[in-house]
Amino acid sequence: MKMTIHEVAQCLNLHVRTIERWIRQGRIPIQKTGNGYLFNESALKKWAKMYRLPFSMPEKLKSRGYEERPENLLYAMKRGGVLHDLKGDDMETALKSAVEHMPVLSKTSKKELYRLLLEREHLTSTGIGKGVAIPHPREPLSDVMNSPIISTCFLEKPVDFGAVDDRPVFVLFILLSQSIKIHLHLLSRFSFCIRDNSFVEFLKTSPDETSFFAKIADFEKQLDRAET
Amino acid sequence: MRIFQSWRYPANWRIFRLDDRLLLILAAIIVGSCSGLASVILNRALMAMFNWFHHLRHYWWVFVLPATGAALSSLFLEKVVKEGAGHGVPEVIYSVSRYGGLLRFRSSFSRLISSALTIGSGGSAGPEAPVVISGAAIGSNIAKYFSLNDRQRVTLVGCGAAGAISSIFNAPIAGMVFAIEVIIGEWKSVNIVPIAIASVAGTEISRILQGNQIPFSHRIFNIHQMDILACVGLAILTAAASILLTRLLRSMDKIAKKVPAPLWIRAAIGGCAVGLIGLFLPEVLGKGYHVVQTTIEGAFSQGLIIVGLATIAKIVATALTLGWGGSGGIFAPCLVIGCLAGLTYHHALVLLWPSITWVNQGCFALLGMAGLISGMLQAPLTGIFLIVEITGGYEVILPLIIVSAVTTSVCHYMEPAAYYMKDLVEYGHLLRPGTDARVLSDLNVSELIEKDCIAVTQNMLLRDFIKIVKKSHRNYFPVEDEETGHFMGIIHLDDIRQYLFNPVMYDTVFLGQIMNTAVEVVNPDDDLADVIRKMDANHLFSMPVVVNNRFIGLISKGSLLDQYRKELMVQTCQSI
Repeated sequence: MKMTIHEVAQCLNLHVRTIERWIRQGRIPIQKTGNGYLFNESALKKWAKMYRLPFSMPEKLKSRGYEERPENLLYAMKRGGVLHDLKGDDMETALKSAVEHMPVLSKTSKKELYRLLLEREHLTSTGIGKGVAIPHPREPLSDVMNSPIISTCFLEKPVDFGAVDDRPVFVLFILLSQSIKIHLHLLSRFSFCIRDNSFVEFLKTSPDETSFFAKIADFEKQLDRAET
Repeated sequence: MRIFQSWRYPANWRIFRLDDRLLLILAAIIVGSCSGLASVILNRALMAMFNWFHHLRHYWWVFVLPATGAALSSLFLEKVVKEGAGHGVPEVIYSVSRYGGLLRFRSSFSRLISSALTIGSGGSAGPEAPVVISGAAIGSNIAKYFSLNDRQRVTLVGCGAAGAISSIFNAPIAGMVFAIEVIIGEWKSVNIVPIAIASVAGTEISRILQGNQIPFSHRIFNIHQMDILACVGLAILTAAASILLTRLLRSMDKIAKKVPAPLWIRAAIGGCAVGLIGLFLPEVLGKGYHVVQTTIEGAFSQGLIIVGLATIAKIVATALTLGWGGSGGIFAPCLVIGCLAGLTYHHALVLLWPSITWVNQGCFALLGMAGLISGMLQAPLTGIFLIVEITGGYEVILPLIIVSAVTTSVCHYMEPAAYYMKDLVEYGHLLRPGTDARVLSDLNVSELIEKDCIAVTQNMLLRDFIKIVKKSHRNYFPVEDEETGHFMGIIHLDDIRQYLFNPVMYDTVFLGQIMNTAVEVVNPDDDLADVIRKMDANHLFSMPVVVNNRFIGLISKGSLLDQYRKELMVQTCQSI
């Protein structure tokens, strides 16, 4: 592969002018000829190693950045599904039945999830007010997941969750994600939806899947517009 | 035609491109030989002039001779080649530290001619410094011819200086040590090998053309413990003499600058004064090596008072010649002054303690020379090796080291910078490799600019600004005028943090109201050391870079540390 001096500068994370000056001062094994620069890539790498300078290809950095790009709400919610009329008299039983009915997860991870959710609830309630709660484990499940899941669970009757405004909770959004970063990303997008009072009213009608997803898609569009 | 082309660009010859070190060594041989040749030429010219003017010494008007010489040399430097007066070594050091050893081609002969005029006509100065600058300029221009990089060019400049000193004194080690200790200031094998080879080449040239002779050969001395003890006293005397010489040279320079006359008239005045002194004490004229020779042989028979007077007269004559605009170096005068100081000290010792058998006066003369060279140059190694080599006297090495060390320390205490570096240190131009000043002068502002700042306008509402804050990676936001794009001021998140959490202000505050307009800005051409000084003085972490009222980017201490460290690693690590 033929490299240009600009690429060398990128690999070393330096300004092109620094490289040019180093060539002039003879500090870097690159030779200037009449119309360009002469150098050997492996010699350059060896040189960088000797002076303990970081030398890495910029392409690698870019691809890693792409992987980390977090997903949006709608897909996570579609994966998690919408559950209606879940039974339960208090927080524990409501969570238990919600976890039982969640799709995708295996039996062992359901058990683990239930335990982690309870642990989290004991720390502080995840009831964020207006009758909505977002139970989630503090750390990602030990079972490796590829993509985040949000299960929307409408309860048969409102349950006391110890929420911040002491109102009984009628809907749970169980939030599972593979990393803290994605968790925060989803949480911030979700809180944007829940801030809207008309959305809470809409939730109280315990809507069916299609109209619920349509509403979420609407919010996503608003969010994307605000970001750009 | 093609052959001609390849001759014009020797840098492209295959043999030189095989290996950089080989190329440098070959170039070092050429440079050493050329500078050796230059010193032989100057030496011959001085000898010839000495012979021409020798028979004029009997006339009373002979005192105008140094004046004519100094005036001619000053005219030549000022009008013909347009170079500054002085001895030239500081120029070489300056160019090595600032411009990677770039020197003009004309420097390779201009000082030779001007110093031949000054010294040949009787001015009290030395031929060594002019030869050093010639050799250095030859090295620099040969490096340019081979299109070498700065680092290699600096080495070749050192080679030129080493070849010159080696050749003029027939002293290869002294030349080598001088080049590394005084000119380059960096003891690394990449420098030492070519410089050593250049020293050999220079010495060999002078031996072929002038014969292998030790300049000041002497008889064998028997040194006792008492003599070694007495050396400390001598060291203090030589330190005093070198401090006197340094101060006198500088004050003469200042006085001469106040005289409202052209440069050549000033030089003539100085020369006249030297000539008048020379009427009474002819020892002070010229480079004065015959004085050194007779003293070391123990044949200088004058009494204490005459010798003491001669010492002071030589100091004054040197200051008059060089301070008033003559051209030449201080090496030779140093040797003569040191020799006379040693002689004075010996006479005083004999007078005070006649019962003790002191070593021959030649030995003290020799030690005095080492003391003065070490004191003036503040380069103890150069002093030690030079004297050992030019006198061929290894048996005096112990007292020699004592005198050199003590004189250097005392002089360093009184005058923190050596004579050659004084002006450079004063203007902050002395940048030795691997020092903070060097790293900062190599880095420049444009290499440190960070461009990932998001510009905002002054009529933007705080609410819109908060959206931008969400996306930004930085804490600084330049404010630009909407129409002209001119830089208006900067917003630092720290300054407006309390407003960010107050929703009432979102729609009532414009950025124009909260931006900081009294902000210090940086120009890309600014000296980095000044920029950092400004940052420290105002407790800033970042400063905006602004050109023609336009915001270019940000310079911050964070990226500065990153770059500074990389630069330091590349400059100081054991090199390739």
